[in-house]
Amino acid sequence: MTTRTGLTLRKDSASTVILEMCSVRVGQTLFGIPITHILEIVGGTIPQAVPLAPSFVGGLVHYRGDVLTTVSLRQLLGLPATSGKHDILVLESASGCFGLLVDSVGEVLTVNAADHEPNPSILDERRRTLFDGAYKLTEGLLIMLDPERLDPMRLGAAAA
Amino acid sequence: MDELTREFLIESQEGLDRMERCLTDLEERPQDTELLGEIFRSVHTIKGTTGFLGFKRLERLAHAGENLLGLLRDGKLSANQAIITGLLHLMDALRGILKTIETDNKEGEGEDAELIGRLHELQHPEAAVATMNAKAAAASSANAHTPAPPIVHQARSSVPAIPDPETAPAPVDVRGAVIDSKPPADAASESGKPKTITTAASDSTLRVDVILLNRMMNLVGELVLTRNQILQATSLDPNLTLLSRRLDMVTADLRESVMKARMQPVSNVFSKFPRIIRDLSQALHRKVRLVMEGQETELDKSLLEAIKDPLTHAVRNSLDHGIEPPDVRIAAGKDPEGTLKLRAYQESSHVIIEVSDDGAGIRVERVRAKAIERGLIAAERAAQLADRELLQLIFLPGFSTAEAVTNVSGRGVGMDVVRTNVEKIGGKVEIDSRAGKGTTLRLRIPLTLAIIPALIVRSLNQSFALPQGALSELVHIPPERASAAFEYMEGTPLYRLRGQLLPLIFLDRLLSPGAGSTSLASEARAERDNFIAVLDADGRRFGLVVDGLADPEEIVVKPLSSVLKSIGLYSGATVLGSGDLALILDPGSIASRAGVALRSNDEGHAEVSQEEEESDVMASRYLLVEASERRAAVPLGDVLRIERLPLSRIEYIGYRPVLNFDGQLLPVEDSGGVLAAAGGNPNAQVTVVVCREGTRHVGIAVSHVLDVAAGDELFEAGSQHRASGVTLLNDQVTGIVDLGAVPPLPLNPQITSPQLTDWTTETVA
Repeated sequence: MTTRTGLTLRKDSASTVILEMCSVRVGQTLFGIPITHILEIVGGTIPQAVPLAPSFVGGLVHYRGDVLTTVSLRQLLGLPATSGKHDILVLESASGCFGLLVDSVGEVLTVNAADHEPNPSILDERRRTLFDGAYKLTEGLLIMLDPERLDPMRLGAAAA
Repeated sequence: MDELTREFLIESQEGLDRMERCLTDLEERPQDTELLGEIFRSVHTIKGTTGFLGFKRLERLAHAGENLLGLLRDGKLSANQAIITGLLHLMDALRGILKTIETDNKEGEGEDAELIGRLHELQHPEAAVATMNAKAAAASSANAHTPAPPIVHQARSSVPAIPDPETAPAPVDVRGAVIDSKPPADAASESGKPKTITTAASDSTLRVDVILLNRMMNLVGELVLTRNQILQATSLDPNLTLLSRRLDMVTADLRESVMKARMQPVSNVFSKFPRIIRDLSQALHRKVRLVMEGQETELDKSLLEAIKDPLTHAVRNSLDHGIEPPDVRIAAGKDPEGTLKLRAYQESSHVIIEVSDDGAGIRVERVRAKAIERGLIAAERAAQLADRELLQLIFLPGFSTAEAVTNVSGRGVGMDVVRTNVEKIGGKVEIDSRAGKGTTLRLRIPLTLAIIPALIVRSLNQSFALPQGALSELVHIPPERASAAFEYMEGTPLYRLRGQLLPLIFLDRLLSPGAGSTSLASEARAERDNFIAVLDADGRRFGLVVDGLADPEEIVVKPLSSVLKSIGLYSGATVLGSGDLALILDPGSIASRAGVALRSNDEGHAEVSQEEEESDVMASRYLLVEASERRAAVPLGDVLRIERLPLSRIEYIGYRPVLNFDGQLLPVEDSGGVLAAAGGNPNAQVTVVVCREGTRHVGIAVSHVLDVAAGDELFEAGSQHRASGVTLLNDQVTGIVDLGAVPPLPLNPQITSPQLTDWTTETVA
C-alpha cells in the first residue's frame, strides 16, 4: 500500500505534466501501468490454477490474508502460457483488488503526458479494448494498460 | 436493573450522542432535512420506549421535543439559534434523567414544565423571535443556580462513538442542572455512588461494526494459517518447538475470543417468537404455550441471521399442522393448551436448536401414501422403509408443494427450504415424530462459518478441500480392483456400495473435460489408487472419485471473486498448512453439474438416517466382524467406535481383558479368541469394537471389521418363530453378538455404570 502514496504527478515550470508509470514486460513488449493504481508488487509466485476458469484467469494467489484472482496478461494477448514463477502486480479497481500476472516487472519510468497517443485505428479489436494508447519514449513505445479494463469482473462480463 | 432498561439506556445514549452531533451540524446547515430526520428519530425512539417502560417524565419531555422536531422536519419551521438552543437543553435534560435512571433505576422527580413550555413556544416562529430575549434571560436565570452552560459545552465536545464519557465523572452536576428542585442534601448523598457504578451499562459494552469484526476474523484466520505453516516448519527444530507451541496456544485463544465477539445469544432470534405465536395461535384458533430454553446459547451473528427464516418456518408449521385445535386435543385426552418448545444448546462444535410440539405428530402412513402418490418413491420400496426413513421424505422438494402439505398430516410446507437453508450454512436438519404425541425438529448448526473442518483431496496434481459436513464415508479402491470396481451403465460410472449403486463423478474428468479420451483415462486410473468420497449434498448422494487423500484440516474459508464463483463448483478457497492454496469444492453444485438426481427414488435410501441415536433402522443393520475366521454381527446402533490399537494396550484384571481408555475401564470380550491367538506378540494390532450395552460400554475384540449390512430376520422352519440371536447377513446366517452376556467388571457397581456413558461417541456409520 506504500506505493500508492508516492508522488505521481507534478508540474514543472514549463507546465508539462510528468507521470510515473511502472513498466512491465510480457514477451518482447513493454507495458506501462500508472503507479497510482498499484497496491503492491509481489515477485516470484506460482499461482494456483483454477480448473474450468475462463482462460484469462491466471490462477489464485495468496495476498495478505485474501485469495486474489489474477489475470494473465499473456493469455489476454494470446501468447503461449509459460509455467513457473511470475511477477504479480496487485491492482486496485472499482470492484476490488486483483492480480496481474506478467513476465517481469521493470523500473518506474517518468513520462511526459504530451508524449501520449491514443490507440491507432489499425490495432485489432481485442487489443484496442485492452490498451490505453502509448507513450513515445526514446527507446521505444510504452503501451499503456488501464487497470479498470483488466478487471476480471469486466473481462468475465465481456467474455460471457 | 433489568435487561430491557439497560438496553434502553445504551440505545438512548447513543441516540443522544448522534443527536448532539447533528445539532451542532444543524447550526451550520439549518435546512438539512437528513440531519433533522436523524434528530427526530433519536427523540422519537426515546419517547416510544419510555412510554413502554413507564418513564412518564421522560416521555412527556421527549414528546414536547418531538412535536417541535416534527415541524422542523416537515419544513414548517426552520431551525434558528433559539430552536437549536432549546433542543440542546432538551438533550441535556434527557441525558440527566437517563443518568438518574442508571443510578437509581428511577427517573427522579423534577419539574420540566418550563422546558416543555419553552419547546412549545418555539413551535410558533413569530413568538419565538419575539421571546428570544426573554429566553436568553430564562437561560441565564437557569445558570444562576445550575452550571448548565458548561455542561452543554462539555457535552457538545464529547466524542460520539464512546458513550458519554463526559457526563460520567460529573453525574451530580448533570442531575443538578436538570432537577432544579432536588434538595442539595439528596444530591450530596448521591455523590458517593458514581464510584460503585464504574461498570455502568453503557461503559462496559461497546458497539462494534460487524465489518471490523469480519476483518478481525479474517486476520485471525490468517494467523491460524501462518501458525499451521510455522508448526510444520519448526516441527524438527527442538529450540523452536516451545515457541511454536506457545504461538499455537495464543492463536487458539485469540481465535476463540474473536469468534466469541461475533457471538450473539439465540434469544435475539427467539425473542420474536412470542409475538408470532400469539398472532398465529389467534388466527388459527389454537391455544399454545411457548416454552423457551437455553436462550443464552450463543451463535455466530451471520449464522443467527441465516437460521431466522428456517426457524420461523418450523414454528409456523408446528402451529399450523402440529398442535391441534383445543377441542381435538380434549377429545384426544390432552391438555387443551398445546406446548411449543424452543430449545437451544451447545453440543461440542455445534449448536442444536430444537422446535418441538406436543401436537398430532406426523402420521407415517400418510407420508408413505403421499410419497407414492406423488411418484417420489416406488410402492414396494416404501413398504420396506422404516418410520424414521419415511419421515425424511418430507424434506424432498417434490413433497412440499402447497397442496401436498395440508393434506398430509403435517409439515411439509417448504421443509425442503428449511433443509436447504440450514445445509447452506453447513448445518443439518433432523426430524422425529410420533403420531399423536408430537414432533421434534432439530437444527444442527456449526458454531462458526469462517473456519470449517475439511478433508483435503488430490486430483489433477492439485489439492482441493471437501467440507467434512457433506462427507459420509471414504472408500479406497486399490489399483488391482479399479477395473472391476468401476462399473459403467452406458458410460455412466457407478460403484456398488454395500449392494447399492452409487453414481460416481470423477473429479479430474469433471474439472478437465477436454483432456484425453475416456478409455485412456480409465487405463491410467487402473494403475493407481483411487478413493471414493461418498458425499451427501442437498439430499443427493454420490461418490466423488479423487486420486489421493491428504490429512483433514481446519480450513479458513476465503471468498472467491465473482468470476470464479460463477464457475459454480467452488464455494471458496483456502490456504493449507503447507502454504498451498486449495479450492473448496461445493458438493451440492458438483452434484447438480453432473446431473445427479435427488435421492428420492430407490437408491441410497437405506442410508438416509445415520444418526447415532438408537432407532429401529439401526437395529436391523449390523456391523459384520470377523474373529478368528468366524463371522459375527454386532447391531450397528450399539456400535460407538472402532479402535485399532496395539495388543500391549490390553491389560488384564485377573483373567479378564480390559482396556484402559483415558482412565476409564472397558471390559473387552474375547469370545472369538483374537487376543489369545495374538498372544505372545506385543506388537500385534487388535481391533476393538466399542459398543453400548445398557448404560455401560463394552469392547469386543475382533480380527477384522468386514462390512456394514442390513440383516434379514430368520424364521424357524415350520413354526415361523422368529429366530433370535442370528440374522441373515449378505445371504449368510450370522450370529449376533449378545452384548448383554458380557459380564460386568468386578468393580464397585457405583463406578461402573453412568460415567462410562460420557464417552465421546463417534459412530462408524
